[in-house]
Amino acid sequence: MAVLKTLTLSIACLLAVLPALSFAAEPPVSLVVKPLLCVLDKGATSCMMTFDVRWKSLVAAEYCLNDGGQATPLRCWPSARSGDLQQQRQVSEEFRYWLTPATGVERLAEVKISVLRVDSADRRRERRARHVWDVL
Amino acid sequence: MRIPVSKALLAVAAAGLLAGLPAARAEDAAGIPAATPSPAPLNLPPERSWRLGIALGYGSRTNPLIQSQDIPVLVDVDIAWFGKRWFFDNGDLGFTAVDNRFFTANLMARVNSDRAFFSKTNTKYVSFAYAAGGLTTTAFSPATGLPITEPVPIKPPKRDYAVEAGIEMLFGGEWGNATLHAFHDVSDTHDGYEVSADYSYRWTTGRFSISPTVSASYKSKKLSDYYWGVHADEASLVLAPYTADGGLGWEAGLRTSYYLTKNIRLAVSANYERLQWDIAQSPLVEREYVLGYFAGLGWQF
Repeated sequence: MAVLKTLTLSIACLLAVLPALSFAAEPPVSLVVKPLLCVLDKGATSCMMTFDVRWKSLVAAEYCLNDGGQATPLRCWPSARSGDLQQQRQVSEEFRYWLTPATGVERLAEVKISVLRVDSADRRRERRARHVWDVL
Repeated sequence: MRIPVSKALLAVAAAGLLAGLPAARAEDAAGIPAATPSPAPLNLPPERSWRLGIALGYGSRTNPLIQSQDIPVLVDVDIAWFGKRWFFDNGDLGFTAVDNRFFTANLMARVNSDRAFFSKTNTKYVSFAYAAGGLTTTAFSPATGLPITEPVPIKPPKRDYAVEAGIEMLFGGEWGNATLHAFHDVSDTHDGYEVSADYSYRWTTGRFSISPTVSASYKSKKLSDYYWGVHADEASLVLAPYTADGGLGWEAGLRTSYYLTKNIRLAVSANYERLQWDIAQSPLVEREYVLGYFAGLGWQF
């Protein structure tokens, strides 16, 4: 009986603190970028991609969006809690978007854009698998 | 390994062009800023020696043998290692003898794949009775002349794995990939050979890739007969003796992938293999084709 009481109390406590935990888990600044992957095959050296970049923050402030290709920010938003940007660019290697405060270099949030090369200069890696179920 | 000269030149040219362009700044832009030039030439890390992957999903491969079960495919493991000369690719062991801009020639060792069908078999018992003029009577064995009173088992005979050695020629380019193979038994199992050719082409658009494949293979009489013939000591009332001759078979397949991330993809594949005529006519063969398919999620580590 005592065990049951303890268990019930524990579950009740857990349920009580869950909303607070979920609130605490929410990052102060979030950055979402789509798409995240460039797939390169034979003859292709880059992907032309249009990125949809969206960010939001719990605190209104001046934020700047940066990427790996440039030393200066792509765009800064004065006293904002959210923002978005569309950018068309050619991608040939992995890079990142990240958000910083207007003053400072601390990365508040960042997203990596990956490049996947599906062909190979080594012909052996393009060998046809003998097994019909070999899908990799 | 093959050096992608054209790609390297393109990359150097692109880098030179880009160096002269002013850095694009889109700080004040609204909407879609002008296309940002490629920040750098193609600069991917060198390929790793190991290639490890796993796919989980559902698939099946039909078994052409009588009294057999289809082969379920729920997990597919990809294990390969590529050194400068030596390599291992999912059971195939190779040594690269020649590698130039025209082709790659490998000396290979492998295990014959026909044997795989003989692992999923079972036994069926048949009772014999001779019917004539509406009457059923006892059947007699043509060999002994004695009446057959007990059910006779039907079971595919046992076959051994064969280790085969041979040569493989790989060709590849913008036009696709082609392979020529020639293998001979070196394990004194069937003492035959197989010669095959295949061609595949992969289209990739966005995250989606599709790759049709066609191939043809000639299996010698010794190889065909060892696996698919009914030898004198295996013949019975229910399994007539049969000698399989050499012949040409073909197959066609389609593999598709949708890349979810750099390491994870949705994969769907299907393959149809038409057995060579003499194998298809064997009393051991119930279906003259092998159909395989698989759909699942693949991880490349």
